[in-house]
Amino acid sequence: MSVFELLKEYIETGRIKLDKSKYEGKKITIHDPCNYHRKSFMSFGQHFLDECRWVTAQCCPEIVEMEPHGMNGLCCGAGGGAWASPYVQERIDYGKWKADQIKATGTDLICAPCHNCRDQIMKSLTKEFDIPQRTYYIWELVSDCVIMEPWSEEEVKKSHEERDKQYERDDIDLDEEY
Amino acid sequence: MEALDLTKRPKSKLALKPEWADVCFTCGTCASGCPVTGVDGWDPRKAVRAALLGLEQELVDSRWPWICTICGRCEYMCPQGVNLMALIRYARTLRERDKVPGVLHKGVAMCLERGNNLGIPETDYLFLLADLSKEMEEGTVETEHGEEYPPYPGFYCPVDKEGANIIVTINSKEPMGEPEDMMFWWRIFYAAKESWTVPKQNWEGVLWGLFTGDDDALKEQCRRIIENARKVGAKTILYPE
Ligand code: SF4
Ligand code: SF4
Repeated sequence: MSVFELLKEYIETGRIKLDKSKYEGKKITIHDPCNYHRKSFMSFGQHFLDECRWVTAQCCPEIVEMEPHGMNGLCCGAGGGAWASPYVQERIDYGKWKADQIKATGTDLICAPCHNCRDQIMKSLTKEFDIPQRTYYIWELVSDCVIMEPWSEEEVKKSHEERDKQYERDDIDLDEEY
Repeated sequence: MEALDLTKRPKSKLALKPEWADVCFTCGTCASGCPVTGVDGWDPRKAVRAALLGLEQELVDSRWPWICTICGRCEYMCPQGVNLMALIRYARTLRERDKVPGVLHKGVAMCLERGNNLGIPETDYLFLLADLSKEMEEGTVETEHGEEYPPYPGFYCPVDKEGANIIVTINSKEPMGEPEDMMFWWRIFYAAKESWTVPKQNWEGVLWGLFTGDDDALKEQCRRIIENARKVGAKTILYPE
C-alpha cells in the first residue's frame, strides 16, 4: 500500500482528525519523487499524484506547483543511489535544477514525500542554494496537524500489558540500562 | 579515432533485449530532457548508441551510469519506448562489485549479513525503540526544530506483533541519526488506533540492490520483507521510503 492511500484513507474515514489552523495562511509546493509517481506509473500503472495533492491540501490548502511537475517533474538530483554516492558535486549540480524550481514558487513550505528527496532538499540543496523554505515529509505534515485524543484508561491498560509481554519476550529492561 | 566496422560488431553485453536499445531511432528526445546530458560527455542517447555499437565497456567503466539518477524522465518521453532505465541499471550491474562507487555495495553486503544497511545490532535497535516509546508516552521528546508534543498515554512501538494489520519497514538512517523522525508515523498510528508493527529482524526499507543493479540482493531483501509480513500475519506492508 502506498503512503498516500493510507493517509488518505485515515483522513477520509475520519480515523484521524486534522487541525487545519496549523499551516493557515501558508503556501506549500510539492516535490514529486520519481519513484512514487513517474516510475510507479510506468511499472504499476498508478501515479498517486492526485492522492498526494489531496492529502497535502488537507494540511495546507494553498499549493503552488513547480514547473514542470508531476509525470514530467524533475528528480531532486539524489535518486538512484546518488545521495550515497561519492560524486557529490555532480549531485549538487543536478539538484540546482530542483532548487531553482523550488525558489521560483515562492512558498513557505516544501512537501517532499520521500526520505531520499527530503534529505537532498533539506540537508544539501537548502544550504547550497539558499532555499528559504523548510522541507517536510508528507507524513510529517499530517502528523503535525493530527489532533491527539488520549486513549481511554482501558485502552492504555491493554496496551501496557501487550508492551510488557513484548519487552519480556525481547528481554528489554529500560531501567537496567539507564 | 579508428572507424568502427559495424559488420563485425560483437553481440552487445549490455543491450540484452531489442527494446533496451535496438528500437531506438536516435531522435534525441531523451537527451534533451535529461538533467545530466553532457556530464563527462555522455547522455542517454549516447548510452544507447554505445550499447549497440560495441562500446558498452566504455559506458560501464564511466562514472555516468552512476551520475544518472534513474529518474525515468527520458524513458517516459521516449517515442520508441526504449527501456532506458533497465539499460542504464544494467550498465551498473556490469561493474565489478568491488568497483561500485562509494558505500552502496558495502551497504548491500551489510544488509544481507546483518539485516540493515548500517549494521545496527538487534539489541540496540530494540532498546532504542523502547526508549523512544517511553519518551513519547511521557511527552518528553526533544526535536531538532524545537517542537513540543504532548504525552501519548499507552503508546509503545510494537515489534513483530502477531496479527498486526500493517507492518512497517524502517529506513536505517532514522534509528542511526534521526530517531525522533520515526515518531511522525507513530503519532498518526496512535491517533488512528491502528494495529501495526515493525519487524524485529531484517527491518531495512532502503534496498540499495536496486541502485547497484544487484538483482540477487534485491530479491533476497524483498523476500525478507514479505517473510516478515507473513510471520505476523500482516495484510499490508507499508514501505515509507
Ligand atoms: S528518446 Fe528513445 S528513440 Fe529517441 S534517442 Fe532516446 S532512446 Fe532513442
Ligand atoms: S533516468 Fe538518467 S538518463 Fe534518463 S533522464 Fe533521468 S538522469 Fe537522465
